[in-house]
This record gives sequence, structure tokens and C-alpha cells, in this order.
Amino acid sequence: MSAPSSPKRRRKRNWAPYLLILPSIVYLALFFAYPMVNGLILSVREAGALLTLHGEAQQLSLPTGQLPRGAQVSILDQQGNLISQDELDQANLVTEIWFQTRGQDSTGETLEGWAPGTRIRVRETNESGAPVSGTVRPRIGSDDPLTFIYAEPNDNSEIVGSLEVQTPVEILDQVTLEVWFLVRAEVEEQTEEGWVQSRYLQVFGDGTQGRVSRGDTGQFTTRYFQQMVNDRFFVPALRTTLLLMVIIIPIQFVLAITMALVIQANPKGSGLFLYLFTIGLGVSDLAVGIVWYSIFTQLGYLNSILQGLGLIDSPITYLSATKQYWILIAIILAEVWRATSIVMVIVVAGMQAISREVLEAAEIFGAGFWQRVRYVILPLLRPSLQVALILRTILAFQVFAVVVVLGGGDIVTVLANETYRQYYDLRNVNVAAAYSVFILLLSMFTAVFYLRAVRTQEEVGG
Amino acid sequence: MTNAAETSTRAAQASAEVRAIHRRMLRRQRLGRAMTYLLGILLSLWVLIPIVFITSMALTTPAAVRSYPKSVFPFLPFSTATMEFFLNSRGVLPGITNSIIVAVITLVLSTLIAAPAGYAISRFIFRGRDVFRLSILAVRAFPVVVLSIPLAVVFLRLNIYDNLFSLAMMHTALALPTTILVLSSVFASIPYELEEAAQVFGCSPAQAFRHIVLPLVLPGIAAAAIFTFVLSWNEVFAASILAPLHNRTLPVQVLITLDESSEPYQFAGGFFMLIPALIFIFFIRRYLFNMWGQITK
Repeated sequence: MSAPSSPKRRRKRNWAPYLLILPSIVYLALFFAYPMVNGLILSVREAGALLTLHGEAQQLSLPTGQLPRGAQVSILDQQGNLISQDELDQANLVTEIWFQTRGQDSTGETLEGWAPGTRIRVRETNESGAPVSGTVRPRIGSDDPLTFIYAEPNDNSEIVGSLEVQTPVEILDQVTLEVWFLVRAEVEEQTEEGWVQSRYLQVFGDGTQGRVSRGDTGQFTTRYFQQMVNDRFFVPALRTTLLLMVIIIPIQFVLAITMALVIQANPKGSGLFLYLFTIGLGVSDLAVGIVWYSIFTQLGYLNSILQGLGLIDSPITYLSATKQYWILIAIILAEVWRATSIVMVIVVAGMQAISREVLEAAEIFGAGFWQRVRYVILPLLRPSLQVALILRTILAFQVFAVVVVLGGGDIVTVLANETYRQYYDLRNVNVAAAYSVFILLLSMFTAVFYLRAVRTQEEVGG
Repeated sequence: MTNAAETSTRAAQASAEVRAIHRRMLRRQRLGRAMTYLLGILLSLWVLIPIVFITSMALTTPAAVRSYPKSVFPFLPFSTATMEFFLNSRGVLPGITNSIIVAVITLVLSTLIAAPAGYAISRFIFRGRDVFRLSILAVRAFPVVVLSIPLAVVFLRLNIYDNLFSLAMMHTALALPTTILVLSSVFASIPYELEEAAQVFGCSPAQAFRHIVLPLVLPGIAAAAIFTFVLSWNEVFAASILAPLHNRTLPVQVLITLDESSEPYQFAGGFFMLIPALIFIFFIRRYLFNMWGQITK
């Protein structure tokens, strides 16, 4: 690394580097930190939440109970309540309009107050469409000729007077109210009763029946994690993921170190070796699955070769539900084939950092090849191996397309595949998020575990 | 005289001994060399044979693909029929186009965002530099599986779901850590003194960068861009979560139709997806080590 050699740069605080790294910090925060938090929320927050019933038709009143989504309710009463302008686009909203009116009652006295919109016929509007005057409407289906005028836009408020039908009134103001329903429902042999906002209900029939269409609170839930753990694919997926990891990683490390030693010996043609060994770095796990499928499929190369050698008489079916171990072997070979290269690259980079003098000194003092590898190269490679190990382990939790191609997606399954299944096939975003959080926790746990294990080893070894 | 003879015989003995040691060492070296070659060739075969298999499956007739037992000699009969069948299958050409579009957007975006950061890491010592580098490494190892699901929900809400550009933004996020590290090592390989010299001769810092540094780092930037391209071309999990409907990339198309597709289609698809790896890794193999050498420092 070339350090800045100009002393001027060091003396005063230079903002240039911060400006230069700012875009990537913003981008990574946007695409890593934010989704991570969001995923956590998705996995533990109740999406089809419970609906809280209130003691009064007000958000701040005491809750009296809760109803789950889909609960059938009977509607006992209704009442309007103020709603803010930006909530007006909610689905299922039932609203009512109240007018603030001024008119003369039967005794000739001027009466000012609020009347429900259903009782006022608007006669005149101003240029912006707001009503300015109207008349009092008769109440349909009732012989009461009087219309009550309330002190507030709420029929629970004080009645300030009443107006006769057809009385002309000035309209001073109008408000939109959301209707609250007083509902009653039987839930688990208990009767729940309370007020809810119309937006959470689907009202049908004559307005006396309804159904809870969604909840209002996203409270903490472990439901999705329970659903994940109880899924019949969860345990097999976890077991296979761990099994693959435990088998694949040691093979990869042995192969990768061997490859690195070959390259380090720098024979003629090491450039070609290097190229061949790194190819895996550019191969997708889907392609590698297909490559090994062509070998293990019933009419594939493995059977062709075995039959050519006269070892078998008819093709063997390897990738079938009754031979899970063959599927596992195929997946292991495919993953070793593809993902050894990344370990190899890290190991070679680490070996290049080992100085020649150290190796020559070991040789002069009579260390044989194995001794050099065991007592000089491997200990000096430890940081590289540690990085490779952490990286490989975390990548092992993400094995996906290989397994889909070779394991058919449900005969042998892994955690990443279950995430995909929950999201794509079952459309269960929350359980998929639970899976992804689980994978994240496993990855973090193993990374910390490795770092700790190596550190304590060093401490013990002095 | 006797003395001299003694010396000469002793010298002869000594030289014989030296020669013997030398011979033994040579033999040992030759043995070591042979072992190296043997291992190298075995490992190369391990890598090569599956590639030969899939290539010969893709470059033959569909009938030969279905035949059994398969011929030991590859490419017999040689034919482009299987590849043509694959390329003409529904959704494949659009898939290839989509893959290329996403990969190109990804490489442009990630180079533009990563280059300044790489330059900053390699040229300045600033408070927080190590934290920044470490967090990039942590992010590099971050599971893509974890990001895709929440991003899909966000994209749905923002109405940019099933969209090539939003997929490319996701791929950029995946490629960014690697690109930053590669580019910082590329910049670090250009001595700062060159830039300084240019400034001494009257260039502004921007001009020095433009005329001195940029031409020198272009190959490195190209290598990083190629790596990004391959990464995006290969990526299947995020792509199948974020754009599974009308904007499938090639891997998604192959994955989703896997169950109902025939073996010639699958093998041709596998081979086709392999090609960029075979070509591009060849050009950038030197830079791969730059990138990972960084990490253990």
C-alpha cells in the first residue's frame, strides 16, 4: 500500500477521502443495512395483525379486546370521528360528512352548530366547489320533522337546538369523519365488544354484519419462526446444509492447498494450471449443477464410462428419491469442483506473501517438503486460511441452484432453497424472511466462532 | 609431491562426494518436479473433464445427447443443432438480452461508485479507513439470500419489482465490495510519486489523475469490470426473487423451466452460461490475486 508521502495531507484534516467513499457508504447502507433491518422486521412482525377493539370510538380510548383477521362481527352502532386528510385513501373507509350550519329555528332565533351531511341538501357552492348554503332535508322513514343541531361534529355531543325541514341554512364549514363501528364478536367462546375504525372492517348486507379485513397493530410475533421450524423441510434442509458444509470444506482446503503448492513450485506451464484452477471462480452454481447433472443423469457419462469398462450391464439411476446419498455425492463433487478456486486464490495470495528467505532457510536446515509445509507454510498461512474458512462457511449456507438441479428441490433440500420455496412457491414472505434471518444468524455465529477459536488457540499456544 | 597427490586425491574424493550430493539433490528436485507436474495434471484433468463433457453435449445433435452409452470421443457427431434448439427456445434470447443489460448496468454503476472509494483507500490515510475496509469485507461475505427477500418487499412497495434496473442495483450492491477492494489494490500499484511528479510539473490533481493515473489503471479497472460482469451474469438467487416474471435473466429462465425442459436444452444452457467464465477468467486471472492478497494484510 502506498501511503501518502506528502506531509501536508496529514497535517490538516482532509475531507477528500470522505467525499470519495461517501457514495459507496450510502449505497451499501441502502442495499445492505436497510434490507437487513427490514428483513428482521418482516420475520418478527405480525403481518395479518390483530385488530384492537376500543372502549370508545377514539384511538386514545382504552382497548377492550382484540379480534383476529377474518373474524365475523355484528355491528351494533356507529359513530363518526375525525380523520386526518392523508388517511383518506385507506381501503374500506366509510366516511360521513358534517356541515357547520347557521340558520333560524322555529322561534326565529339564529342557531349555529353541526349537522350530519345526510340532513342538509346543498343548494349553492362557491367556485372551488365548497358548499356555501343549503336547506334542511326531511329524515327519510321518520315522521320527526326536526333535525338536531349539535355543538360538535359528533352525534354524542350536546344538542344546541333543532331546525325544521326546508329551513335555509348557511354552510360555514364541513368536515369528513371516519365512521367507527361498535362491533360484537364471539372469539373462542368469549364475547368481545368494542369500537373499531371502518377501515379495518368489510361491511356487508344491511350494514349489521361485517368481517375483520386487517389488523391495526404489527406486534412482535414468533409465529413465522415457529412456522419455519415446524415446516417439514426445515430439519432436512438444516441437516443437509450442515452436512454438506462439514464434508465439502475440508476437501476443498486440501485440494486448494495442493493446487497452491503446485502453482507456488512454479513449473513450466504454471500459467495454464493457474487458469484452469481459477475457472471455477467464474462458474455459476446453476451451470455447475447442470455440468454434474450431465455426468450423473441416468443416460449420462458416469454410466456410459462404467458400462464401457464392463462394470455394469444397464444404467444405474443415481439421482432418485431412494438414493439420497448419490444426490449428496453429486452435490459435493459439484461444489468442490466449483468453489475450491476461491479458497485456492486466497491461499496463493497468502503464499506469495511468505518470503522466499524463510522457505530457503528451512530447506538449508534440512527440513523436508512435508516438514516445510507442516511447520513453515501452514502456520504462516493461518490468516489466509482463516479468511478463506469464514468466507467458505458463509457461502456454504447459500448453496442453492446446484441443489435444485441435482436434488430436484425437494428430495434433497437446503436452507437457501427453502427460502426460495417459501417466497416463490408458497408466497409466504414472512416465513421466507424468517429463513433469511436464520441464515444470517448462522453465518454470523460461525464467523464469530472461528475468530474466537483461532484467538484462544493463539493464547493457549502462547 | 606426495602432498600434492594427497591433496588432489582428497580433492577428487571431495568433489566426488559433492557430485554425489549434487546428484542426489538433482534427483530429488527432479522427483519433486515430476510430482508437481503429476499433481498439476491430475488437478487440471479434474477441472477439465466435466467441461469437456458438457461442451461435447452442447455441440452435438439432440439425438446424440439422448443416446446411450455416450461416445467416449467428444464432439461426435459435431453439430450446432443442440445449441440452436436451446437458443430458439421460448424466453432464452430475451433472457440473454436481459442478462447482458443487467450485467452492463451493474458494471457501469459499480465502477462509478467503487472507483472513488478504491482511490481513497489506496491514496489517503484517514480516520475510519480501517473500519471502512473491514466493513467492506464483512459486507462481501454477507449472504445474498438474506438481502433478496426484504428487497423484494421494498421493490414491490416502490413499484420497481420485476424490473431490470432494480435487479442491476441489487447486483451492484453485491459487486461493490469486491470492486472496491480490487480497484484499491490497482490504484495502490501505481506509485503516488508519479502523480506528485505530474503535479510538480504543473498539473492540477485532477489533471494528474486524468493523464497519469487513469491510463495506468485502465487495465485493472477493466478487469474489475469483467469480474463484475461475470458475477452478475452468474447470479441466480437474487434474480429469481427480484425479477421472476417478465424480466427473467438467462439463469432464472433456465432454473424456472428446469422441470419441464429436456436434457439437450439443459446441457446447452449449462454450456452457454459457462462460456463467459471460460473466456473472462483467462483475461483477469492475474488480478484475482491482487484482490485477495489485500484481505489478509
